[in-house]
Amino acid sequence: MVRFLYYFLFLFLFISCDLIDYHPYDGRLSSDTETGINKTNIEKIESICHDKDTIRFIMISDTQRAYDETEDFVNLFNSSINNVDFILHGGDFADFGLKKEFEWAHRILSKLKVPYVSLIGNHDIIGNGEQVFKKMYGEENFSFIVGDVKFICLNTNALEYDYSNPIPDFNFLYKEIADSISSKRTIVAMHAPPGNEQFNNNVKEVFQAVIKMFPSLLFCLHGHEHNFKVRDIFNDGVLYYGCTTMQKRGYYLFTLTPDGYTYEEIEY
Amino acid sequence: MKKLNTKSVILLIALLLFPFQSNAQKIERAPIESEELPCITFWNKLIPRYIKGQFAGSIGMLSAGVGWNYGKGHWETDMLLGYIPKNTDRHAMATFTLKQNYIPWKVPLSNRFDFEPLSCGLFLNTLFDDDFWVKNPEKYPKGYYSFSTKVRIHVFVSERFTYKFKRQDMFAKSISFFYELSTSDLYLINAINNSYLKPKDYLSLAFGIKLQIF
Repeated sequence: MVRFLYYFLFLFLFISCDLIDYHPYDGRLSSDTETGINKTNIEKIESICHDKDTIRFIMISDTQRAYDETEDFVNLFNSSINNVDFILHGGDFADFGLKKEFEWAHRILSKLKVPYVSLIGNHDIIGNGEQVFKKMYGEENFSFIVGDVKFICLNTNALEYDYSNPIPDFNFLYKEIADSISSKRTIVAMHAPPGNEQFNNNVKEVFQAVIKMFPSLLFCLHGHEHNFKVRDIFNDGVLYYGCTTMQKRGYYLFTLTPDGYTYEEIEY
Repeated sequence: MKKLNTKSVILLIALLLFPFQSNAQKIERAPIESEELPCITFWNKLIPRYIKGQFAGSIGMLSAGVGWNYGKGHWETDMLLGYIPKNTDRHAMATFTLKQNYIPWKVPLSNRFDFEPLSCGLFLNTLFDDDFWVKNPEKYPKGYYSFSTKVRIHVFVSERFTYKFKRQDMFAKSISFFYELSTSDLYLINAINNSYLKPKDYLSLAFGIKLQIF
């Protein structure tokens, strides 16, 4: 009997331990993993950028299975990159949709000296990844305002759903358009761009027409394709900037000024 | 492998429990000469030799099942059903595990106590849930994702202590306590080329009890 008691005591001591894993897809977040990260960080960003004319942000994307490279980026950023207001992650934290992949990635990115905001990637939806993403980061479609620019962040990974979810969500877009009177300019960010196999290409022209209803659409941002690419996908003057993967040690630096914007492709 | 539904889970449970029932009736009878009745010997071999329960270990919060010893006690095969509790975002799930153990050494500590310093092997685990697939569903281009979300392969090492009961006429002949460290294919793929990930990130700890019945 005593042996049983000792055994169970031992067992309960370990319940809180990192090594206890019920299942790779159990969705049970470790007790020290933050939730609602996007909301918290957006509040920080909006207050940092409240009355700034010039806004500088970095876009990184597709950090899956590149923990070493991501950590190098965070160290480089914290030690030698200044005057950047926030970081935008283009999605694909996980490769297999595993809960632990999200936790590992956030453990590294939470060390950044500026707040970061995250889009959902197709690999983040696999298994029960979507539930983990929503718990950790929040809604998959959201917007935030920095200075006079509104960022529209969208889930465009339509291939992962069976028409059960509207991807891209036009109701969300129309609502945001109606709410955009106060912001002068708009940037639309997504994981998979129109034309990509993930995108619902049946509505890509409609999508383009709708996002052009936003006040002065500056450009669009996307990840997913693992290469730097700048394209005018619809030949209508709206540029789509594709960010490379963290595996290739690259990121975008954008500077938004009252008159326009500049960007740099940087490899480290 | 086809998708497993609730019906097949129930069937599996029934199959796992049935041998015990049939055996409970037989146990009072005179010993059967195995050479004379090869048919009965065959069926006897199918009767599980032990039952096992486990906490954690990447196959469910709690799992339980039966198994067989063979090869002079060096080999054991387990079949376990696991339970993953629901959390705020997802319903509870069931899993099935097929586990192969190899136990190279047994160290007797006393008359009643044995210590097995190493048990190792691998196990396959599958989720009973339609959101997970073995092969990419047809909506994806060919070979879009190169892995299965439903079936995991794990490798493990474990150690265990066995206490042999004084009375050998009871339900259980001995009880073993074990602990186990394991990792799965997808954890290992993440760990390769990433020195950032340490063993504590991708190893999974389990505790369990085994009751030897025969």
